[in-house]
Amino acid sequence: MAADEITSLSLDRHLTAAGAPAASFARLWRGLWAQPYVSAELLELCRLTLARLHRDEGELAAPNPYAPLPAASGERRAVVLSGGVERSTLFSDGERAILAFTETYGLDPQSLTDAQAAQVGQQLGEPGLVFLIEALGCLDARIRTARVLRDLVRHGAQLDG
Amino acid sequence: MAEARVTASGSHTGNPIRDSALGRVPQTLEDIVALNGQVWHDSLVSPTLLEIIRLRNARTVNCVFCQSVRYEVARQDGLTEARAQMVDGNYYDSQLSAREKLAVALADAYLGYPAGASAPLTAALRQEFSGAQIASMLVALMSFNLTSRTAVSIGGMPEEPLPLTLLPVSSTTP
Repeated sequence: MAADEITSLSLDRHLTAAGAPAASFARLWRGLWAQPYVSAELLELCRLTLARLHRDEGELAAPNPYAPLPAASGERRAVVLSGGVERSTLFSDGERAILAFTETYGLDPQSLTDAQAAQVGQQLGEPGLVFLIEALGCLDARIRTARVLRDLVRHGAQLDG
Repeated sequence: MAEARVTASGSHTGNPIRDSALGRVPQTLEDIVALNGQVWHDSLVSPTLLEIIRLRNARTVNCVFCQSVRYEVARQDGLTEARAQMVDGNYYDSQLSAREKLAVALADAYLGYPAGASAPLTAALRQEFSGAQIASMLVALMSFNLTSRTAVSIGGMPEEPLPLTLLPVSSTTP
């Protein structure tokens, strides 16, 4: 197992030894990319926002098979990676609200404000807001686990038995 | 207590996940309930270790609801309330076992910013746990962290500690 290959996107194949709970988490993860609330492209931009906050180069470079970004969105990706979404005209007000929510969530969910939640709720509805919160929890959890696994493998741990 | 940002599902099944705001997202609800059940039923470490990392996560995320819960299965496994209280800032000098302290250290490695594991921690984990057990604890951590951060984000979190509630695993599983 090459440590550098471990990211939130490849995580599941590195956790198979954990059995049924790992398979269950993988199923939840796959389902995030096909639901009626947040487009796969926007969810991928959320993942990149969290990866930027973790300063995780491997995560930022990894192509997402669940959400291949269309060529036209390369510029949007660059803006997300630069942290300039708030001032960019490439995003709608709703997208800016969702990405700002993501950024605050990534720093500390306790810092989220009622106004931020209300803005996202206006865009996505209440179920959509709950979905976004769950999805961000999944994305952040997987980035964290990938980082820990990467270090464990670099330091000689074998996770397959 | 601040008001929750989302109303609860409106169901009264007795399952705290289904009856919470998470019940409003049918696309993820069953997977989250199943995940919670499998973590408690099929993990490769003891209920005591699971409860210790759950409590460590709850403390770090500051989820007042999660901190007030104790799972019966861990109590039956020997994690008394006095021992559960040792999962605090002074855990390293507590009477928790070496294995239990390592589980806390793994949780801290995951919960840190940035997350990551040092070489000494890796060596200590390898001595005490199999690779599959380490993977199992990481999956449990992801599950606990996901749900506690969701609870915090949805809002309505009490500011003061709540009375302890002993929960059977069956109340939060399918």
